[in-house]
Formats: sequence, C-alpha cells, structure tokens
Amino acid sequence: MLRFAVRNLRAYAPRFVATALAVVVGIGFMAAGLMLTGAMKSALLGSVDRQYASVDAAVVSLIDFEGVSPGVSPAALEQIARTPGVAAAAGELTAPVRILGEDGTTRASRTVGRAWIDDPDLNPLEVTEGTPPTDGVVLDRRTADELDLAPGDTVTLATPIGRITRPVVGLSSFGDADSIDDGGTVSFAPDDALQVLGTEARGWEAVLVRAEPGTTALDRTLATELADAYRVVGGADFRTERQALTAGVVDVLRPVLNGFAWVALFVAGFVIANTFAIVVTQRRQELALVRAIGGTPAQVRRALLAEGVAVGVVASALGIVAGALLSAGVVWLVGRLGYRLPGAGLSVTPLLVFGCLAAGTVVTTVSVLAPAIRAGRTRPVEAMRIGAVDRSGTSTARAVVGGTLLALGLACLLGVRLGGWTSWLLGPGALVLFGGVIVGGPLLARGFAVLLRPATRPLGLTARLAVDNTVRNPRRTATTANALVIGLFLVTVVTTSGEAFKSWATGQLDALSASDFIVASAGAPIDDEVVEAIDGIPGVRRTAPVRTTVSASTTTGQTPVSGADVELLRETTGLEVVEGSLEEVAAGGAAAVVDFSTLTLGSLGGTESGSGTTGGGAGGPPGGESPFGPGVGLGDAVAVTRPDGTVESVPVAATLRARIDSLTLGILVSEETLTDLLGPQPVNLVYVRTEAGAAEDVGVAIDGVLQDFTGVEVVPGNFLGQIVGQVLDFLVAAVNALLGVSIVVALVGIVNTTTLSIHERRSELGVVRALGTTRGQVARMVVGESVLVAVLGTVVGVGCGVLVGWVLVGALGDGSVPFSLNPARVASIVAAGLLVGVVAAVAPARRAVRVDVLDAIRAT
Amino acid sequence: MSQAGTTVTWAAQVLGGTKVFGSGEAEVRALDGVTVGFEQGRFTAIMGPSGSGKSTLVQCAACLDRLTAGRVIIGDVDATNLDERRLTRLRRDRIGFIFQQFNLLPTLTARENITFPADLAGRRPDQAWFDHVVDAVGLRDRLDHRPSELSGGQQQRVAVARALVGRPDVIVADEPTGNLDSNSSAEILDFLARATAEYGQTVVMVTHDPVAAARADRVLFLADGRIVDDLVGPTRELLLERMGTLAR
Ligand SMILES: Nc1ncnc2c1ncn2[C@@H]1O[C@H](COP(=O)(O)OP(=O)(O)O)[C@@H](O)[C@H]1O
Ligand SMILES: [Mg+2]
Repeated sequence: MLRFAVRNLRAYAPRFVATALAVVVGIGFMAAGLMLTGAMKSALLGSVDRQYASVDAAVVSLIDFEGVSPGVSPAALEQIARTPGVAAAAGELTAPVRILGEDGTTRASRTVGRAWIDDPDLNPLEVTEGTPPTDGVVLDRRTADELDLAPGDTVTLATPIGRITRPVVGLSSFGDADSIDDGGTVSFAPDDALQVLGTEARGWEAVLVRAEPGTTALDRTLATELADAYRVVGGADFRTERQALTAGVVDVLRPVLNGFAWVALFVAGFVIANTFAIVVTQRRQELALVRAIGGTPAQVRRALLAEGVAVGVVASALGIVAGALLSAGVVWLVGRLGYRLPGAGLSVTPLLVFGCLAAGTVVTTVSVLAPAIRAGRTRPVEAMRIGAVDRSGTSTARAVVGGTLLALGLACLLGVRLGGWTSWLLGPGALVLFGGVIVGGPLLARGFAVLLRPATRPLGLTARLAVDNTVRNPRRTATTANALVIGLFLVTVVTTSGEAFKSWATGQLDALSASDFIVASAGAPIDDEVVEAIDGIPGVRRTAPVRTTVSASTTTGQTPVSGADVELLRETTGLEVVEGSLEEVAAGGAAAVVDFSTLTLGSLGGTESGSGTTGGGAGGPPGGESPFGPGVGLGDAVAVTRPDGTVESVPVAATLRARIDSLTLGILVSEETLTDLLGPQPVNLVYVRTEAGAAEDVGVAIDGVLQDFTGVEVVPGNFLGQIVGQVLDFLVAAVNALLGVSIVVALVGIVNTTTLSIHERRSELGVVRALGTTRGQVARMVVGESVLVAVLGTVVGVGCGVLVGWVLVGALGDGSVPFSLNPARVASIVAAGLLVGVVAAVAPARRAVRVDVLDAIRAT
Repeated sequence: MSQAGTTVTWAAQVLGGTKVFGSGEAEVRALDGVTVGFEQGRFTAIMGPSGSGKSTLVQCAACLDRLTAGRVIIGDVDATNLDERRLTRLRRDRIGFIFQQFNLLPTLTARENITFPADLAGRRPDQAWFDHVVDAVGLRDRLDHRPSELSGGQQQRVAVARALVGRPDVIVADEPTGNLDSNSSAEILDFLARATAEYGQTVVMVTHDPVAAARADRVLFLADGRIVDDLVGPTRELLLERMGTLAR
C-alpha cells in the first residue's frame, strides 16, 4: 500500500505542486525568520559574552528609568579601584559620534564613541596597529580602512560637545571582528571620554571590575564600600542583563515573524485540504477499485495520509532551503542599504530544521485528514460506475450551523460597537463570524452565484457558464475563496483601523503646537553652547532648557524629575494647570505633578478634548494609577531620593493636565530645587518658541547649530503627530507586506483549483469546443471562473475586515476615535484581490484552450 | 435452479435478494426477490436485457454493494451482516473481479496490479502459481508495463490474471469483453473457461453476447430483477432462441 502511495505521488506530482508551494512559502517564511533572528541573537549574545568576558563584577547606578540613568561618578570609580580584591576597574561610557570630512560633511554617521579601557583583560578591544588612545583616538580597523585613515592622520568628529579634532594614534579590533559596534568605534582615552562623551556631567554608564584571583564575595565587599549608593552586580548577572538589553529586539521580532508564518501556514492548510479533496475526487474510481478488490477504508485513508505526509516533509524541507535563500537575500539587501545585521551568517540549528519540518508536516497532515477520511468512505461499487463527479452539496446542517455562527458573530460585533457591550466580546465575535464564513462558505458561494446570474445575462452564455461552474461544487469554491478571505480580512482590519487611528492621532497631536521645536538628546547631554546658540538665532522668541534626571523614591519607584525655568516652560509649551499654581513651584521648594485622573487616550494630544468632552475620561485606556502613589495631589508631597540615599519630601503645589509634555517632565521643580535635590544636571531637552512665520528659517538654523553635535536631535513641535503618522504608516505597510505572503498562498490555491477543475472537465470542454465555442470564449470562461472565486473571497474578506476594523476602532478608541474609511485604500485592497483572480487564471486558461477536441471527447 | 441438493456445494448464494434504489416516485426495484446459487467449479453466465439487474445482482453477490433485503452467503460465510472491514477482507480473500473497464490502477505496473490484493493483505503471492497464471494469459513480457502502455485486450488479461492469482472462491466478471474486439474477447473467454475446466475455478460472468455465454456451463436469464430462465449446458442456438422468446 505504501508503494501505491509512492507511485501516486510520482504519477500525480504536478497536482501536488500547489500543495507543496503553499507549504514552502509558509515554512520558508518561518525558517527565514528563525534563521535571521537566531543568527542575530546568537551574534548579539555572543558578542556581549565576549565583550564582558573578564568582568567579575559591575557597578551601576541604582536608577535606571528605561535606559535613562544618572551614571556612576568618577570619584566612585577611584574608590572602587582602591577596594581590596579589585585587580582592575574601568569606566564604561558610550555616545554617538560622527566622523566629519575637511569641509564638515559627514563621512561616517553611525559611529559609536567609547571610553578606552586600560586593563587589557577588561578591554574587549585590541590594538592592532599604533598605540592605545592616550593622546588621541583609536579607530576600529574597518572604519579606518573604509575612510582611508591611518595612525598619524587627524580626524574631525561631531560629538555631544560639538566639533573636535583628534589625532588618530591606533587601530583596534574586537576579537576576530573589526568592530564591536556595527557602525564603527572611536575610542577615547578615559578622561577625554568623560569630557567629550559625557560632557563632564554624566559620569560613567557602568564601572567594570576584575577581581584578584581567589577573591570571593567581591560584590558584597564593593556594596559595603560604596555604602549602597550604587548597585553592584556579579559578572554573570551583568552579562545576562546586557544580553537582555541587546537581545530584546530579537525577542520581540521572533514571535512577530513567527505569527505571520503561522498565518501563512494556516492559509496553506486551506489550500492543501482543497487540493487533496480535488485529488480524491479525481481518483474516486481508482480508490473505489482499491476498495472493491480488498482495500479497507483504513488502508485507503493511510495511503492518502502517507501521500500528505510525504508532500509535507518534502515541501517543508524545500521551505527550509527557501528560508535560507530568503534570509540570505534579506542580509544582502540590508547590507546594500548600508547596515550590517549582527551575525551576518545564518544560524541553522537542528532544532530549527526539526521544528520547521514538524510544523510543515503537521499542517499538511492535518489538512489532508478530512479528504483522506472522505476517500476512505469511497464505496466499492463506484468502481463500476462511470463519470464520477464530486457533487458534494450544501447540507441543511451546514446551513443551520453556518447561519447561526454568522448571526452570532455579527450580533457580538454590532453589540460591541452599537450596543455598548463589553469589548471583550470583540475577539470571540470575530472568531465566531469567521467560523460562520468557513462553515457557511458553500452557502455564501451559492447565494453569490444566484445574485450574479442575472448580471451575466448581457455578457452571453460563457459568462453564465462561468458563474454556474463556480457553484457546481460550492464547497470547493468556498474553500478556495476562504484562503483568500483570511489574508484580505487581516489586511483590511489592519489597514482600516490603522488608518483611523492615524488620522485621529495626527489630528489630535497636531493641535498641540505649543512649542515650535523640541531639541532633545538621545541620552547624551545637550551642551550649554547649543542652548546659547539656539537662543541667539534670529526669530527665536523663547527657549526653555529642561534638565531631566531620574530619581528613585521609596513611595513611587523611579520617576523622572525635571528642573526648568517654569515661566519659560509655560511660554514655550502648553503646560496647563489643573489645580494650584506654578508660582510656588517657580519660587522653589515645591513640585508640580501630573493629575493622572486627566489621563485618557484622548488627552494625550488634545488641548481641550481631554476629560471634558469624553465625559469624565478617567478609566478609559490607557488611564491609570498615578506613579507617584495613589492619589498624590495638591497638598500632598512626593518623595525624592538624594544621591546620598536620603529621602526628601517635596510638597505638591500644582497639578498639571496629563499631556505628552507634562508626562515626560515627571516631577517638575525649579532649576535651583533640582540642583539642590539631585546635584547639577545637564540639559537634555530644549523647547523652542519662534516668532510668527519664522519657523521655517529657525528650523534650518537649528539644524546648522546641531551640525557638529551628536546625540541631539531637533524635531518640530508637531513631531509627535508626524512620528505617530509615520510609525503607523510603517506598521500598516510592514504588516500588510507580511500578510501578502498569505495572499500569495491563496493565489496558488486558486490556480490549483481552477487547473484541476479544468482537468476534471476535459471532456465537457471538448464538447463545448466541438459545438463551436472559440478558444477565446473558453479562455474567458476560465478567467471568469477564477475571478468570481476571487471576487467572492475579496467581498467576504474585505467586508468582514471593514466590519471588524470598525468595531475594533470603536472599542479601542473608547468612542473618541472616528472611523474614517479611506476609499482609495479599500479600493486598492479590492483591486489586489481581483488581480489575484486574473493572475491565477492565466495558466488554467492556457490549459483549457489547449484541450484537444477529439481527445477530450474520447477519453474520460 | 439446480435441484442437486445435498451433493452440491455453493461458492456463492443470494437468497431472496431484493435491491431498491431511490425512494418514492424515483424508486427502482433492481432486484426483486432473487434466489440463486453459484455452484463451485462451474462457469455461470448471466444474461438479460439492459437494465434487468444483472450488474446489481453480481455486485451484491460479490459484496460490492449491500442488498436492501435478503441474504448473501459466500462459501460458508454469511456476508449479509458483516461489518465493512470484514466484508472488505472477504472480498480481498475470496472474490476476484473483472470489470468492463477501468480495471487497473494506472500508476502501477501490470505485475504490481496483479499482486495488489496480496499486497493489501500483506501476503507474498505464491510465485509458482503467479508464473503459471502469467504464462497462461501470455503476459510474461508485459509485466513491467503500465496500463496505459497496454492494449485493451492486454489490460483485460491483466485483470483476469489478478483475479486468478488470488485463487478466490469465485471470480465475478461484469461484461469483461464488452469493450473488446472479437479476437481479444475470445481469448478472455478462453482463459475463464480454462480456469474452470483446469483448476476448478468458479466464475460468474455477466454478458449479452450469446457467443460468450455459450462457453458457460450454465446460463441464467434475468428480466425486471427476476430470474426468468436457467439453462444448463447451453448452445449458441439454444441461447439465441431463448433470447428471442424473452425479447418478445
Ligand atoms: N446507483 C443506482 N441508483 C439508482 N438506480 C440504479 C443504480 N444502479 C442501478 N440502478 C437501476 O437499477 C436497474 C438495474 O440496473 P443494472 O443492474 O445496472 O442493470 P444491467 O446491468 O442489467 O443493465 C436499472 O433500472 C438501473 O437504472
Ligand atoms: Mg450492467
């Protein structure tokens, strides 16, 4: 019986191409994702391990607020170095720098400046040429090579403190690799680094410690020595922490890519089930013969399953190869764009191979199950009856179940949107609706044909035939269309809801044009020179420099604390006081905090649309608890921890409406109070207000000022609107591109079904041709059929998508987000669906046209 | 029907067999209380006008289909109430089939087609017997061909060989020569007749060719789902005469 299966596979190989292709696409995508992220992850983790290989302990700030951290003071480093048991201690400090040409143009833009570590064991870098950077800088050898620089040359650098020049004294490598940073590394002498990268105010990001051999419990010794003013981490824990930071991207990326791969495989499941169902129908007589001469139903089932499994295994293996090619392509493409993905190679692990093989095989096998069971039920007498055509119909049970599910799904969705039902019903509602579409598919296909039939009258008999052919086997038509439904449904949901959120969010955020520009640092401080230069630009009315740092507090955890000239801040931004007055804050010794009861999704952007218009607002997502502790408001106090660990209670003199700017500020105090509480802090945010009509020129001028500084960016005041718009656009485009994979799979399915049904109707086509139908008419009939299936899939998919998108926007937006349907976008999705139908028809139409009239009539 | 009684052993029997297709207006009574036994080691032919129920009778007798009422007994086994699995086994081990067309699996070679039932049962065919049968039907040099590479007559010979190789209790053939030219028909009939004469193989064959039926030991006539005549040791002339009276 196995031989029978094998023979069939060989004989009918072309019929399995579509099945295989569907699996190859899905598995290829899955494998590529795993390979890329696997390579990235192992490269990232490996390089972290190598970078900190000799670190026995590390000292970091107690405070780390999403990467913003006050750092470790130079004095502490000295103290650590003197501690008994410490063999070597070195500060780690990095900041973005750019390498400039003679004329000030940027030659390398993604270079990282690093403090050189003198201890050769702790230092991940090695000098390959020249000397360490005692009185100059060391470049990594790849960057030096690419920019044609060598020891003895001089480089001009844009840094956080502006343009500087340094002699190049040496070249470095990172083990076998050229550079530890993928954009290149510029190493500075430690003191130089503190000045240039840290603008003096920042301190070390971390202090790395190597222990004397035989030292135990060094971390505890250090903690005692530093009087718990810093956090001391063991070497292994430190490496794990750093790995978590770097590998985080991969951990997010991988499930996302996998998710899309599963969608593609899910769609592939429909294509496979359908292909096998058709194959079973075509072979009905053969299967009946097997049954007649003694094959048990189980044997027939097993033969079919064996075929499925074989196809699954082979296709999955091909998918893995395709995945390797795909990820190689991605690496190449990203390389062409000037980025180097960490881990340029591909990581192919036995686990990956096994996992992909298993996934593809299981999906195929499960999809083949239903057709195989049906095949097992073939009645032996059918061997003796000629002209077996699949006449699987639409049963009443199907109608009842499908109809009920559809109604239930619709009710849930409409209830959520219109009836004020809980939004938890949205997910189940969508699922039930979808189940209804699948179960009731054949009925939908029937109804669809009934609707379309009158419309074909003016188009002649071929169009009529095309419509009739699609309902000959409504179940097959529906399964084929369903593969398309899934892809288009998801694309539509993502596009329509993304669109709605985008236009709403940008509209809301654009209304917040309190400041015209925001100059913000990405970690490194903003040099005072920059602030002065911006203030001096003609057309600038006001600038408000803000110094933000992070404080830990026993009551509130970690929160940003900002010091600024409150009056300037008020003039440049749209600070809005809910209760109290900012005067007391400006006078010093008092703080302003955000009134979290004003936080709604709507309040994040709008000036007035906050609590007032949405009827209380509070409780709507993402409103929540105040991070300052429950109910911290006017008259209460917030606790701020000084660097020495003592806690200061600061009275709250004003509460601010929750808005993006006020949330960024955290606890707002006067500049003097901030210095008093937490010591001198660098500026890291500057709000700029321009004279009317001067914005354009000021923007250009600020860009000029920042030319020589790195780590600082200028964004327009409505940047949030722009960014949110761009991010949403990007997300929608990216998600749609990924979902496109599933549409390709569906395309394969339509090609397959149409081809097979042409094959099945060879003699019929022969008769039609013999009676005088032209080749053109036959081709049009086939294209018509394929397009109709695509139309069915598109209408159902886009329809459900718009519906779910509408409900989703209503549920997430808490009623405040209007649902705006972009007709052009929807039209383009519909067009894509129809295009699938036309493209899918090309090959089958060719086949149909080539049917030899006499041959077809003779052979059955 | 033969009244030899106790001395006769039946290879297959249908007792009071009734088969009804459809229901209500569309009801067709294809078999109407047929009782018939097929004697072991005999070659029985079944004749009758088109639609008289010949195919239905042999399909039910061969356990391809179930009767609406009545019993089917194969050898000493009552097949009437066997479950699907047992019925399949019974067919596999005790019954051989030759159909009018589509007898062979197109993906298997002639040899594989012949041994397929043994394959299904997980048995190795008796090699000496296999060789004997293959030589008898003259397929020795065609064994590795696919059905599509064989003529209609050769395909039918493969089907005969497949039926013979399993040494079934009974071979059922439904118009096995219906699609063949007279030479090939004669060959096939020869094989079937020889199988009965030389190996004592029981054969039941539906045909409407009096030349073919004349080769049989006994001929049954069917009309409207009933047996209307039973001839032992028929001659062509006798058959033509009977057909003439029945057609009237
Ligand atoms: N599957 C079926 N469904 C309905 N009617 C059938 C079926 N098979 C046979 N019949 C009917 O039963 C009667 C006997 O058919 P059959 O045994 O094939 O006749 P024969 O082989 O003698 O020509 C005919 O009237 C035929 O139409
Ligand atoms: Mg018949």
